[in-house]
Amino acid sequence: MSEPQVLKPLKTWSHLAARRRKPSEYEIVSSNLHYNDRDPNAPYELDPDLAMNRWYKQYNQASPLVHDDWNAFRDPDELIYRTYNMMQDGQENYVFGLFDQFNQREHDKSLTPAWAGTLARMYTPARYLFHTLQMASAYIGQMAPASTITNCNWFQMADSFRCVSHTAYRTKELSLTIEDKGFNRDERAYWENDAVWQGFRELMEKLLVTWDWGEGFVALNLVAKPAIEEAVLRKLGEAARHNGDTLLGLLTDAQLIDTARHRRWSTALVKLALEKPGNADVIKGWIAKWEPLADQAIAAYCAMLPDVSNAVASAQQATRDFRNSLDL
Amino acid sequence: MALLNRMDWYDIARTTNWTPKYVKESELYPDEMCGSMGIPMEKWEVYDEPYKQTYPEYVKVQREKDAGAYSVKAALERSRIFENADPGWLSVMKAHYGAIARGEYGAASAEARMMRFSKAPGMRNMATLGCMDEIRHSQMQLYFPHEYVSKDRQFDWAHKAYDTNEWAMIASRHFFDDMMLTRDAISVSIMLTFAFETGFTNMQFLGLAADAAEAGDFTFSSLISSIQTDESRHAQIGGPVLQILIDNGKKAEAQRQIDISFWRAWKLFSVLTGPIMDYYTPLEHRKQSFKEFMEEWIVAQFERSINDLGLDKPWYWDQFLHDLNIQHHGMHLGVWFWRPTVWWNPAAGVTPAERDWLEQKYPGWNDTWGQCWDVIIDNLVEGNLAKTYPETLPVVCNMCNLPINFTPGKGWAVKDYPLEYKGRLYHFGSEPDRWCFEQEPERYAGHLSLVDRFLAGQIQPPNLAGALAYMGLAPGEIGDDAHGYSWIEIYKQMRMKKAS
Repeated sequence: MSEPQVLKPLKTWSHLAARRRKPSEYEIVSSNLHYNDRDPNAPYELDPDLAMNRWYKQYNQASPLVHDDWNAFRDPDELIYRTYNMMQDGQENYVFGLFDQFNQREHDKSLTPAWAGTLARMYTPARYLFHTLQMASAYIGQMAPASTITNCNWFQMADSFRCVSHTAYRTKELSLTIEDKGFNRDERAYWENDAVWQGFRELMEKLLVTWDWGEGFVALNLVAKPAIEEAVLRKLGEAARHNGDTLLGLLTDAQLIDTARHRRWSTALVKLALEKPGNADVIKGWIAKWEPLADQAIAAYCAMLPDVSNAVASAQQATRDFRNSLDL
Repeated sequence: MALLNRMDWYDIARTTNWTPKYVKESELYPDEMCGSMGIPMEKWEVYDEPYKQTYPEYVKVQREKDAGAYSVKAALERSRIFENADPGWLSVMKAHYGAIARGEYGAASAEARMMRFSKAPGMRNMATLGCMDEIRHSQMQLYFPHEYVSKDRQFDWAHKAYDTNEWAMIASRHFFDDMMLTRDAISVSIMLTFAFETGFTNMQFLGLAADAAEAGDFTFSSLISSIQTDESRHAQIGGPVLQILIDNGKKAEAQRQIDISFWRAWKLFSVLTGPIMDYYTPLEHRKQSFKEFMEEWIVAQFERSINDLGLDKPWYWDQFLHDLNIQHHGMHLGVWFWRPTVWWNPAAGVTPAERDWLEQKYPGWNDTWGQCWDVIIDNLVEGNLAKTYPETLPVVCNMCNLPINFTPGKGWAVKDYPLEYKGRLYHFGSEPDRWCFEQEPERYAGHLSLVDRFLAGQIQPPNLAGALAYMGLAPGEIGDDAHGYSWIEIYKQMRMKKAS
């Protein structure tokens, strides 16, 4: 009778050892961290028929977006927690440096009343919109089938909180200088009632009740976020520059650095998904479902932006350019 | 004025509730995920987190904390802790990392649930940071032990443990999944942050950090105390929730959730932390006994927290205080006896000097637990190693999924707490364990303990080898006595001296 083989120490985790290359710190600390995929009958170690087990079986395991090995996903930026904070601390120093410098120059006093009115209507209410993004990424992160996908979503969630924070800061600052435009008073009313926001509001409310992780990812990262980024960051920033608001232009540029990263990981995830026949049609089907809402949202918002030529069409086109780059 | 102060704009960043129009509020916040107990949206908006932090403050402070913990690690990489530490201390690290690292990642999902589904906007922002914290804790507690994987296969379990059916991991998952991964946002804030994190993580992270520093493992000590500084922020998520529940007539429900979570946490700690502190940590490095740590970090602090809120002590409080003296000794004896079924090497911790310490800390130890160890010691002295291994499985509790055990000796009063539910007979190790089941039987009824699985024929062949294979344990990683039984020498010498 042969003796059983005695396992020897490996150079890395056993699940990474077969890959035959030295793992990065990113791989060591980010890969295969979910354990709700070990028993298809009971994602969590309780009654298999428990409501939350059924929720995961339906919206995580039974998603129409399928792959044999989602754990193969890698973030092209290989972002981990500690590098995220290093990077964003640097970015925040830059942004708060801008706030400081423009405040010293009494920037807000130089804004025209008309532009101040535009900010009150079309900029500061955006904290509600950014918060919906924060919520959506939190959800898709907890439902995603691989920790490397989850982490991208959660860093994205934190980035949206960052946008909420910048917007809150500027809301207060503007309210101190400009007293007659309703800053720090009317944002919720604009968000809930003004036509410029209703498209985005409808898009995000419906997206927030989309429970399938795959559809959530497509609707959020391939459709809704690009629409918001092209309209509420890029086009708003452009309008700002044409109205003497250099600060807002620089701020949205800084926020767009985050969104470029979000598109890099989204692109990589689509690429992985396309390894599986059938996924392209699934993704295209979801895009077709969500695109009209996003287009409508862009139209309602961008049509009211002052001093940006062709804002609606060019923002809509930019979202398509991104989706076209995915080779679906 | 050039920059605003934090509190000038903090409230604006947490004024983010709106009234949905294109979907119903009940769709946006489904009860099963939200758990707001019928309390309307505006009542949640009074939520006021006691520990406030903004995004820019967060990334700055966390960057600095990371720089501290990682630089300690880098500076001490040549300190040869692995080669020089007592084997018992290595077992502490192995058990800790395996049971904790990926559980922390699960906690990130729990925080994300609170972020998405709480109706309290301040809570959503704090849970955003809490989620980030838990990513930190999982990543650090994977990166640090990874340094040792090339030296010892058992360190692979820092990552692997959660993927296995190893019995302690079934128990850990059953607890963590129940408290944090399968509950709605409000329940998570009570059961995870209030009932578990305010006390028990303090115990694991500060108590163990103290022992680590004593043992000279400053890398581990700085790591886990750095983690605790995050816990002390996000553990406060639950307090204001409890206040809102109490103010809105939901005290009984809040109390029930606390009582379930606290008992379950205690049981897990009795097997995970008790043996580590009272048996594995080398005697000369023990700062306090497990019971003393528990009394300081859990009993006093928890009593204060619930008093402050006007809540009651759990109904089983007297039993809990009594069990602090005994429960973990039985768990330790069981873990050592069934040592091939764990991924670390349990230290027996019963040399004469250690027994004196145990007797001093737990009067009566020698007349109870000591009697069982006497038999093991006799067998080892006589060279009957085979007799110190198990031939059967223990009876396992259907709530904590840990062996049912009671104090041996003259006061032996072993008792099963059975319950028949929908035609199936369940076994519990205590009245509170059975009570937890009875609160929401549908959460647990369809779960099979390791022994249930054995009896159902899921473990083949039905012997120790089959059980080890089922648990994912192979030679090279299965546990054995931490010190290779060298501690038995002193007993051999005592025998020889007596005989001569």
